[in-house]
Amino acid sequence: MIRKYIALLRMKYIEMLAYRLATFVWMTGAITQPLITMFVWMNIHPEESGSFLFYFMAVIFVERMTSAWDVWELDREIREGTFSNLLLRPLHPIHWAIAENIVYKWLFAVILAPVWLVGAVFWPALRPHMTAGQAVLFLAAVVLGAALRFLLSYSCGLLAFWVTKVAAVYGVIDVISLFLSGRIAPLEMLPPVLREWSEWLPFRYMISFPIEIATGVAGGEEMVRGFAIAAGWMAVFVVALQWLWKAGMRKNQAVGG
Amino acid sequence: MIRVSHLHKSFRVHRRDAGWLEAVRHLWRRDYRVIEAVKDVSFTIEKGEIVGFLGPNGAGKTTTMKMLAGLLHPTSGEITVGGFVPFEQKPEFKKMMSLVMGQKSQLIWDIPPLETFLVNKAIYDIDDRLFRQTLEELTELLDLAPLLDKPTRSLSLGQRMRCELAAALLHRPHVLFLDEPTIGLDVHTQENVRRFIVDYNREHETTILLTSHYMGDVAALCDRVMIINYGRLIYDGDLSVLTEKLAPYKRLEVRFSRLPNVDWSEYGEVAEMEEGTVVLRVAREAAAETAARLLERFDVRDINIEDPPLEEVIARAFWEERV
Repeated sequence: MIRKYIALLRMKYIEMLAYRLATFVWMTGAITQPLITMFVWMNIHPEESGSFLFYFMAVIFVERMTSAWDVWELDREIREGTFSNLLLRPLHPIHWAIAENIVYKWLFAVILAPVWLVGAVFWPALRPHMTAGQAVLFLAAVVLGAALRFLLSYSCGLLAFWVTKVAAVYGVIDVISLFLSGRIAPLEMLPPVLREWSEWLPFRYMISFPIEIATGVAGGEEMVRGFAIAAGWMAVFVVALQWLWKAGMRKNQAVGG
Repeated sequence: MIRVSHLHKSFRVHRRDAGWLEAVRHLWRRDYRVIEAVKDVSFTIEKGEIVGFLGPNGAGKTTTMKMLAGLLHPTSGEITVGGFVPFEQKPEFKKMMSLVMGQKSQLIWDIPPLETFLVNKAIYDIDDRLFRQTLEELTELLDLAPLLDKPTRSLSLGQRMRCELAAALLHRPHVLFLDEPTIGLDVHTQENVRRFIVDYNREHETTILLTSHYMGDVAALCDRVMIINYGRLIYDGDLSVLTEKLAPYKRLEVRFSRLPNVDWSEYGEVAEMEEGTVVLRVAREAAAETAARLLERFDVRDINIEDPPLEEVIARAFWEERV
């Protein structure tokens, strides 16, 4: 399996280099929304500029590290019939997607981490105050968030066996997640009802939760509860994905040819 | 090697008439129609055979092939390929077969073919030595050397097809499904691909099932053909028997120094006539005798007796099916 992953990672890396411009645009494009949102909040609450700066920089970082585009890929591959090529090979197609995620996120980390470091030199607000333990838990939460988003995106993508243009469905989920994951504003600023909801839904664990760990908003018991809920969602998504896969295979029309 | 019995496949498809009113109505009321793509198809293919699978567009060839390759779930009936049930999609099954679709590329589009080969090497667990040896052999047979490091998207159709074949054969499959492998290729490349398939089959005893629109492919490659139309298998047997059965006549092409003005119906049915040459359809058993008579009576410069073209024979098979 390791050999297979090495080969897939290498291929995805070469493929990524073939799309240099697209990757760059994609990377910078995703930064725009949190940046603008940040300036809006700074304008409303100038006295808290420092914490907004840290929060939204963290959003940019975590959002890139957990982002998932698999629904669009699957939608296209299944609709156009190229998915068959992956199905014919003796390796589950999901591994291709996982390898791709690893390669792109590695690139994002390599670009964003130094940018953060340089930024922290000039803006003290960007300097994190984390213990080593907090940092490890932060990274663990990021990985968990990436897994959650990936599984949700991939499961939605599998709906393409039933519905054409399934990305539209994911679009709705994405809008909900915009508010409940903490991308628009820190979750503590949400009305109490929505805040309550956000704790039980998976979206918080995709972006906000790791940041809450880093800023110390979620500590101790709150953190344990968060990891438990996220793990629960993880199990739900894994089961859903397996079921969708089996049912989808029966439904597959292997279009084209 | 391949056993298929009472195979059925039906699809449920939306039906929608044209027009925007119809489109609006379609939003909340959908009509479904069941299409039976494959109906009660049974056949057996032995190890090392090359079988041609013929039929017009939409006859069910590709659907059958996709079921054989495990991409589609049969509605009913049984399939085994090399002892495996394709739809179970076991890795061991996938390692012993390959499907090449002329219209679909398995090569990764924006990077050179060699990179796809390397990915396949890892995924199919091909060991280094065997990989090098197979790649060398395929590179020579298919003349791949100048293509390996160019991005796939920049290859011509013929170049890409050669790379497709290589990608499909790297793991040395025992069963090869070729769906329109020569589609869109020029005559010269078609011939190369055919020659390669024949050689490869001989050398490795690979079982090959091939669909094609080009009768030339079938004539050059297959001794046995299966004809499918409207989802039903209407012929399975020797190509030569098919020709005999469906075309009980031969074509006599006769060239004269000067075309004599006679009533040709005495000799056969005139298929074509142009200056100096006449093509006659003559009953199979009368062909030799008719030729002799023509040679005796007229100043014949050249005479040629041949089977009618396969296109004509097959077209007739479909036509009979419809009647």
